[in-house]
Amino acid sequence: MRALKKLIYNSSFRANFFQGLIVILILSVGYYLYSNTVENLRQMELPFGFDFLGSTAGFNIGWSIIPYDPTMSYGRVYLVGIVNTLLLSVLIIIFSTVLGFVVGIMRLSKNFMVSQLARWYVEFVRNVPLLIQIVFWFIVVFSTLPSPRQSYRLFDTLVLNNRGFYFPAPIFEANFLWSFLAIISALVGAFALLKWSQRYRKYSGKHRAALLPSLFALVLFVALIFVFTGKPLHWAVPTLQGFNFHDGFNFPISFLAAFVSMTIYRSATIGEAVRAGIQSIDKGQREAASAIGFPPFKTLRLIIGPQAARAILPPMINAWLTIVKESSLAVAVGFPELVSVFMQTSLNQTGRAIEIVLMVMGFYMCISLLISFLLNLYNTHIQMQEG
Amino acid sequence: MNSQPTAKTELHKFVPRPSRAPAVYTYGVFGWMRKHLFGNVWNTLLTLVVFALLILLLKPFFEWAILNANWSAADRRECLTDSPDGACWSGVIRWFNNLIYGRYPNELQWRVNLGFCLGMIWLAPLALKKVKRKMVIAIMAIILFPFLGNYLFLGGENSSFNFIIACIALAYLLILYVDIAFVYLSRKTMGEYLEPLFRRIHKKRGALWGYLSSWLLVTVLFALIFQDLTLVLVPVDVWGGLFLTLIISGFAIVMALPIGILLALGRRSQMPVFRWFSICTIELVRSVPMITVLFMSVTMMPLFFPNTIELNKLVQVLVAVCIFAGAYMAETVRGGLQGIPRGQYEAAKSLGLGYWYTMAFIILPQALRDMIPNIVTSFISLFKDTTLVSIIGLFDIMLMARNISNDKKWLGLHSEPLIAISIIFFIFCYSMSQYSLYLEKKLKKNK
Repeated sequence: MRALKKLIYNSSFRANFFQGLIVILILSVGYYLYSNTVENLRQMELPFGFDFLGSTAGFNIGWSIIPYDPTMSYGRVYLVGIVNTLLLSVLIIIFSTVLGFVVGIMRLSKNFMVSQLARWYVEFVRNVPLLIQIVFWFIVVFSTLPSPRQSYRLFDTLVLNNRGFYFPAPIFEANFLWSFLAIISALVGAFALLKWSQRYRKYSGKHRAALLPSLFALVLFVALIFVFTGKPLHWAVPTLQGFNFHDGFNFPISFLAAFVSMTIYRSATIGEAVRAGIQSIDKGQREAASAIGFPPFKTLRLIIGPQAARAILPPMINAWLTIVKESSLAVAVGFPELVSVFMQTSLNQTGRAIEIVLMVMGFYMCISLLISFLLNLYNTHIQMQEG
Repeated sequence: MNSQPTAKTELHKFVPRPSRAPAVYTYGVFGWMRKHLFGNVWNTLLTLVVFALLILLLKPFFEWAILNANWSAADRRECLTDSPDGACWSGVIRWFNNLIYGRYPNELQWRVNLGFCLGMIWLAPLALKKVKRKMVIAIMAIILFPFLGNYLFLGGENSSFNFIIACIALAYLLILYVDIAFVYLSRKTMGEYLEPLFRRIHKKRGALWGYLSSWLLVTVLFALIFQDLTLVLVPVDVWGGLFLTLIISGFAIVMALPIGILLALGRRSQMPVFRWFSICTIELVRSVPMITVLFMSVTMMPLFFPNTIELNKLVQVLVAVCIFAGAYMAETVRGGLQGIPRGQYEAAKSLGLGYWYTMAFIILPQALRDMIPNIVTSFISLFKDTTLVSIIGLFDIMLMARNISNDKKWLGLHSEPLIAISIIFFIFCYSMSQYSLYLEKKLKKNK
């Protein structure tokens, strides 16, 4: 009896006992679910496996960057979904970050009207669900644009109508390779020059205006190569043929609605992060900068900016991660991104629920692991600089 | 004037400098305007530009939404002939009942109202100052209210278990209010009055026994009163509108805290099994979009259970939303736990408190209090995310609003319903966020 009491009050025994209990519980629940699943799959005559990825999909996808037609496989559908999702999220990330900075800085403006405008923009945007905003932009704004024949045109090359946004697409000839190489080498050269001038200034204290002249030379270099290889770049301008525009590149209105609404929605979040980051900098920093005669913009760029970046970046990267996940909401307006083409259409056609859910979740998990890896890398980088 | 100039020093004539400009006054209306609107040329320009922009944007909207709007037409055609370039709010007004209750039968909607009123009444004492043991009230609400809600909202032939728990819930509510009445009227709780009676049963806990036995008595009383009462069955399929949105988000919000606390404690636990289980769950759920979790619960859950079990969509969605909300809440709670200094743990340990006592009475109250603003923020985003259930076909307020345009009478009425529900969401979310700001300020003051 006493031995039992001793055992009960032994903390390491208790820890092991409860952990063992939990392991058994998890395993038995897992086994229960597993056996049910196997039984259900057997009844539906759907063996588990990824062999369906090779079979023909047979349905059309409204819009994709990489070539796709209904004779291609489900594996291709998965790829199309991923590429569409990534394109949408990358565009949203870029534009919402820029817009977010504008909003964040506007909120800090001394001008009452400007700061209030930014404040109410943020309040309205973030207190209405994103899904409503997406549907609103899709149905109320983009679907009510004029038809292709009456579409809005800018310079006869950019076209906006209720089908989508059309713009010229570049057509590269084989010779363009040389121009491409020239651009790459020019970029590398500019970067090296910049580094060199920074190092020169660090050691000698003298400022060498390396950037502007070198940029000019490099642009001239690229332009010369481009002309000498026979201008191997053309633009396919969208033209009206029949009822629709052909040639060129286009974004359908479902893309535009998702893009615009999510850009606006996340710009509010990023704007708040920027504002909080800038406000977190001690007032004395600004005062000290102005005491030694820094002009306002330089203060922002050289004193406030680098310090605020530490506070701004983590929430901003989180917002980027959220954007990648949120881009799945484009399914509501029928944009063919991953969830739409794979989790809806393909799943309905094949019935392979487990495999498809695993694949889709796997993709999002990879992305978020990648982004949090980058965030950790940045954090260690910052900490090293501080120490 | 300088009549006697000396040779060596020449007296200068006193020339007063021009006086400095008066300081810009920054008080009063004009001072405020000068400081914030028209300080210099650039500022003035900005003000004017923003002002022009606002007028340019808001004036057409105002005209469309208010001045030219139609409020009482019978169908869309009448709206269009009456005011072609104005809003047609009459459609939203005609459908308003459905936006709130979904397709819940009109004559039974009092049950929904009663249920929500009971919920409000239950939680109202949390705001009263003299009421003690608020934690118990909240926990009781979490445990008991779902059964009461199920009994009221769903109706039909309930199982006797559900019926009894609904009676227990009602009895608890009654006793709670009797107790509050005692506290406010005579400054003594009901338990203190009952204590002498029950001292014979238990020497120290007489009051508790008093409460328990009166609770039991009232429960039996309620059970006897309501035993013949069966409410008409309202299947889950016809639930909808704001009612459904509030049920899903309320359920998620309520379940998020306990799940989140458990996962957060697990993540910081010394025991590897709990730690890894929590880490895997949290990271897995947080790294995928909510819509995939919803799709998963709808498509995969039927595979997980034997096909003898009937799963309805609402239950599947509730499970998915709870897991999702719990994982996000876990990270918020973890943030709070990390902010607690080590000394608190050590002090608790030196007093001889075990793990659960330390957590429940020392660590968690502080951690949760520090995190209240963040918790409210995640509640808000949860509430907004509830609209996603419309994608998988539950008739929440979003799908109801979109459904208006399918009505033959209101064919193509898209923007007005969307704007109307946006306003509803804005009111809910904005007031929640303002409340959290208020709490934040109050908590800072208390520190």
